[in-house]
Amino acid sequence: MANYRVAADIGGTFTDIVVEPSEGPVFVGKVATTPDNPARGVVEGVSSLVPDLADVSFFVHGTTVGLNAFLERKGERVLLISTAGLGDAYTIARGNRHTLYDLRYSKPELLVPRRDVHEVRGRLSWNGELVAPLNRADFEPIIAKVRQERIKAVAICFVHAYAYPQHELEARDILAAELPDVSISLSHEVAREWREYERTSSAVMNAYVAPVVQRYLSSLRQDLASRGMQATVHIMQSSGGVTTADSARKNPVFTLLSGPVGGTIAGTALSARCGRPNLLCVDMGGTSFDVSLVVDGEARATLETELEGLPLLMSIVDIHTIGTGGGSIAWIEDGAMRVGPHSAGSVPGPACYGRGGTQPTITDANLFLGRLGPKSLLGGDMSLDLAAARTAIEDLAPEVDLDPVAFAEGILAISNAAMADAMRTITISQGVDPREFTLVAFGGAGPMAAAFLAAELDIREVLIPRFPGTFSAWGMLQTDLRHDFTKSFFRSAGSVDVAELISIYTGLEVEGLATIVKEGIAASDVSYQRSADMRYVGQEYTINVPIATNAGKDDMIADFHVAHERRYGHSSPGAPVEFVNLRVAALGALLKYTNEADAVGEGQDPNLGRRDTIFDGRAHSTPILARDRLSAGFDARGPVIIEEQSATTVVPPGWVFEVDQQGSILVRRST
Amino acid sequence: MADIDPVTTEIIRNAFISIANDMNATLIRSAFTPVIYEGKDCSVALIDKHGDVLGQSLGLPLFLGNLEICVKLIAEEHGWDYFGNGDVFYMNDSYMTGTHLNDATIIMPIFWHGKRVGFAASRAHWLDVGAKDPGTPVDSHEIYQEGMRWGPTRLYEAGKPREDVIDLLRRNSRFGEATVGDMNAQVAAGRTGEKGMQALFDRFGEETIVAARDEIFRQTEAREREAVSALPDGMYRAQGYLDDDGLGNGPILVNLELTVDGDSMTVDLAGSAAQATGPVNCGITQTIAAARVAYKLLICSDVSPNGGSFRPLNVTAPEGTIFSAREPAPCGWYFSSLGLLIDLVIKALAPVLPDKAAGAHYGDSMVIMIAGQDPRRNDEFYLMIEPTTGGWGAFEGGDGQDSLINNVNGSFKDIPVEIFESKYPLRLLSYGIRADSGGAGRFRGGNGTYREYLVQADSNLFLWFERSKTTAWGLFGGGDGLPPKVSVMRPDGDRLELLKVNGLKVPAGTVIMSLTGGGGGYGEARKRDPEAVRQDVIDRYVTIGHARDTHGVVIDMNLEVDTAATERLRSSAS
Repeated sequence: MANYRVAADIGGTFTDIVVEPSEGPVFVGKVATTPDNPARGVVEGVSSLVPDLADVSFFVHGTTVGLNAFLERKGERVLLISTAGLGDAYTIARGNRHTLYDLRYSKPELLVPRRDVHEVRGRLSWNGELVAPLNRADFEPIIAKVRQERIKAVAICFVHAYAYPQHELEARDILAAELPDVSISLSHEVAREWREYERTSSAVMNAYVAPVVQRYLSSLRQDLASRGMQATVHIMQSSGGVTTADSARKNPVFTLLSGPVGGTIAGTALSARCGRPNLLCVDMGGTSFDVSLVVDGEARATLETELEGLPLLMSIVDIHTIGTGGGSIAWIEDGAMRVGPHSAGSVPGPACYGRGGTQPTITDANLFLGRLGPKSLLGGDMSLDLAAARTAIEDLAPEVDLDPVAFAEGILAISNAAMADAMRTITISQGVDPREFTLVAFGGAGPMAAAFLAAELDIREVLIPRFPGTFSAWGMLQTDLRHDFTKSFFRSAGSVDVAELISIYTGLEVEGLATIVKEGIAASDVSYQRSADMRYVGQEYTINVPIATNAGKDDMIADFHVAHERRYGHSSPGAPVEFVNLRVAALGALLKYTNEADAVGEGQDPNLGRRDTIFDGRAHSTPILARDRLSAGFDARGPVIIEEQSATTVVPPGWVFEVDQQGSILVRRST
Repeated sequence: MADIDPVTTEIIRNAFISIANDMNATLIRSAFTPVIYEGKDCSVALIDKHGDVLGQSLGLPLFLGNLEICVKLIAEEHGWDYFGNGDVFYMNDSYMTGTHLNDATIIMPIFWHGKRVGFAASRAHWLDVGAKDPGTPVDSHEIYQEGMRWGPTRLYEAGKPREDVIDLLRRNSRFGEATVGDMNAQVAAGRTGEKGMQALFDRFGEETIVAARDEIFRQTEAREREAVSALPDGMYRAQGYLDDDGLGNGPILVNLELTVDGDSMTVDLAGSAAQATGPVNCGITQTIAAARVAYKLLICSDVSPNGGSFRPLNVTAPEGTIFSAREPAPCGWYFSSLGLLIDLVIKALAPVLPDKAAGAHYGDSMVIMIAGQDPRRNDEFYLMIEPTTGGWGAFEGGDGQDSLINNVNGSFKDIPVEIFESKYPLRLLSYGIRADSGGAGRFRGGNGTYREYLVQADSNLFLWFERSKTTAWGLFGGGDGLPPKVSVMRPDGDRLELLKVNGLKVPAGTVIMSLTGGGGGYGEARKRDPEAVRQDVIDRYVTIGHARDTHGVVIDMNLEVDTAATERLRSSAS
């Protein structure tokens, strides 16, 4: 009896479903997202692919419910409690400016107004000494306000709680006894790191999205259960690992970016399957372009990020985003030609969508040049208006003295260069040579631009995975359970007692084991990655250095110097080094099916006809191929256009491609 | 000149900016001292072989449009061939760079196929360069007291570090390792620029890049000239005062005459004070940079600066004034005069640019330094230095920001309490927004900040707080912000109020409370929407008494607007 591993990834427009059966090929589906109750779209989408949900053995979900609640500012009202005298640290938000030449600058809009920030007395010093005990009486007016104004979420951040959390724990006990139905977020549980503004911001974000995410997860679980699904619901986390819905309910902020990271994690799985350790992953959709790296088979992560100017301290797959997408608009300013960052979005959308857009976009340029066909989108379910695209382009081109073809190719050249700059930013300027990488392109628009982006960075080969439009959802099936644990460990490297360090790591691992076993994984399937945040004495930014279980102190210090040299191009081997945090990622291995992505539509003629396509000002009669009918080993020389339901791949003149054993399209420069 | 199409131009334009941003990221992330990595007290530029800016990241505003002048000064003195392949130059001479000796300018020529095609330059604030007191002394009267002064000097020659010179740098700082670490970070930023530039030349070749550059400069200049032309011709004046020069001499006049004539603008500083005995002077290079910052705040603010920028702007200052100082005038706190200059340019043009201007901000960096020995770390020497945020000016359509860093401090972030207390033998007792300190107005000026320090080991206090005489002014009837104020309460009960001091002994147990000023209001206070005043009261930005006295709005005990009383009060006052 077949069973199924299922992933559902909610996007702005579509919810993507990928199903991996215990036997037979992977299959995918796309259903419209149901914004009023996204769980409905998920349940319907899954049901349409798997008739009996009792056959689902594993379910993982990437949700943007929390992120959307934040972006639309529709989260829960939060009351913040902080240390007496220092409550404004949150409102001041470190007092810095993000843009400099602006007399009318305003700080990022915070989630808690000053009126809802309350202080309580009680203070611990930088090294944990009691300066003043927690004042219980100070909680009384706060509790009264929460009751009276029916506030449902409270965040607590006390200074130095990252290392000495006792007052936060005490505060939770006081509140929980009086306010059993209020969701309480403690800063040290969300982020065990110093810097009170950033940690407060992380805890507030958690409190702000918690009730929304909790309600959503309850409703999703109920709906799936009512259709007979018995499998545990898992959620993708920003760190690239998954967790159970039960765990996610506690600190939902860890799932905030659960959608976008799926693509990078899919990259790590692809990396293992195709034997290429270094991948540069690019995800191009309608409004944005996300770049991330797989280095030595692992997704590169960062420990801090910002959302709309608000900081978050947490382990998160490092994704660099710029506002270039199919909808980016071309415009003219003082004789200069610009593309983006303004986007036509999906309404009105590019001119060719026929929804009232009149400005030319990247999608219009692709259509005008024949790289995209009028029936290419969604397997022909959506037709594009070539005449409207042409009008938009012909109207603007004379303003910069270009003929329409040169103008359309110019739109693509400018946007490709901007995307290439973003790719350089996360590679070359961080000491990584992109020429050692294979480019993996996905998302609706990625495979159209991929070869051009590779050319910009001198990258030799490009992989277009099977189902590029649902690649992120596929990635969610390829990862493991993951929980991150941090302990601040502020010591000069010279004075570190290795036995103490090992005992802290062991302690974190014990915590990790307990958490993961509770999620249903056997202890023998749990593994750990140790790392340390280190820096030169005096530096602020740290480098996260992997720590081997048997490493001595000198090895750790030497590894840090090497990592610094690699990242910044210089190191100071004589300078003193210090530790800041110790980290453990606990991983619980999940069962995966290793059957290949799919069998293809063999035996059918892949040729769909020809279309005039313009490259470098010249029209080429270009064969159009159906991807579903290409079998492993198929190869051809560009120019070729390969169409499938969710994406169109462009192989330009001077490039060749072949289909590999996994069904990926491998595009290379012809020699 | 080669023909160039707009597509290639746009690609090259973005690449210049992107390379500069990558240089900046390298510098900030590998720097050793908080002034750079938190304070962002640094700037980078990618410069062409003639010394014109190709791309600049938005670092510290005061360094805007200044690095290229340093390149040109070296070339004027020694010729362009002075810049050899693999050389790295360091300079900090105030009369050349314009700024104080702590600011290290590092310039690296970029070669491509054996030809010099440009420069990567950066400037960053080094914590200590061997002045008579730690950091930057507030009472110097000669530049020789402010640290070692360097003309253009090679740190690397033909690709090899000059260890003897670097050692000299190290030995002449109280924090030698950090100084060399920051120097390395700047060199690394230069290498990032070099790699980016060479890759760009590999791709497009010199002829195309030069043609694109010319076109980019032309476009920028045309846009700026158009914006300047839109201003009515005429002369615009403004003046203000610094409190004093750090040695008690003052007030110090900044006098500004700004002439708009067609598509060009001249800022003339004649009539400003003669160079001061204390350290409020600067070289003309920095004065030009400051005028450019003010100009940039008003003209084409959204365009990334390049060699075509600032062509409509002329700056003149007679020799021997605070703005064009000569040896041996001290320059340690040069930015106070320049911050006022920037604010005054905006004030002068406010009547003709009401949609761009804003009330003045609190005006200066409000720097506090506490130094001593840290008993928690074997009596190691420590130096805590931080500027303080304050209130910004209101404008048509919006209130001023509360507790925001001053204009000349770029994107500085305050030091978190947790880092602060772990690093220094000091405790922060309180830190917050100073209610009622912003100027009243139809739009309210932002409030200043309070920050209260408990000294836990015998130390010395240094203060540089300014702008108590010329406080942040309002515009179009808006009120002025409150001035700054610092109180020192010693454990023996002794209490002092002062704004500038050099090395005051503060024994353990001393409490220092600093208050910074608010920003200016915009429009008449009695026309402010009573509901907006009420919201300010609920959020504790404004007290009930202040709401009544300045805005004429009566808020009752239930925090509701008493409409009748408000109308009575407002009509009686007008």
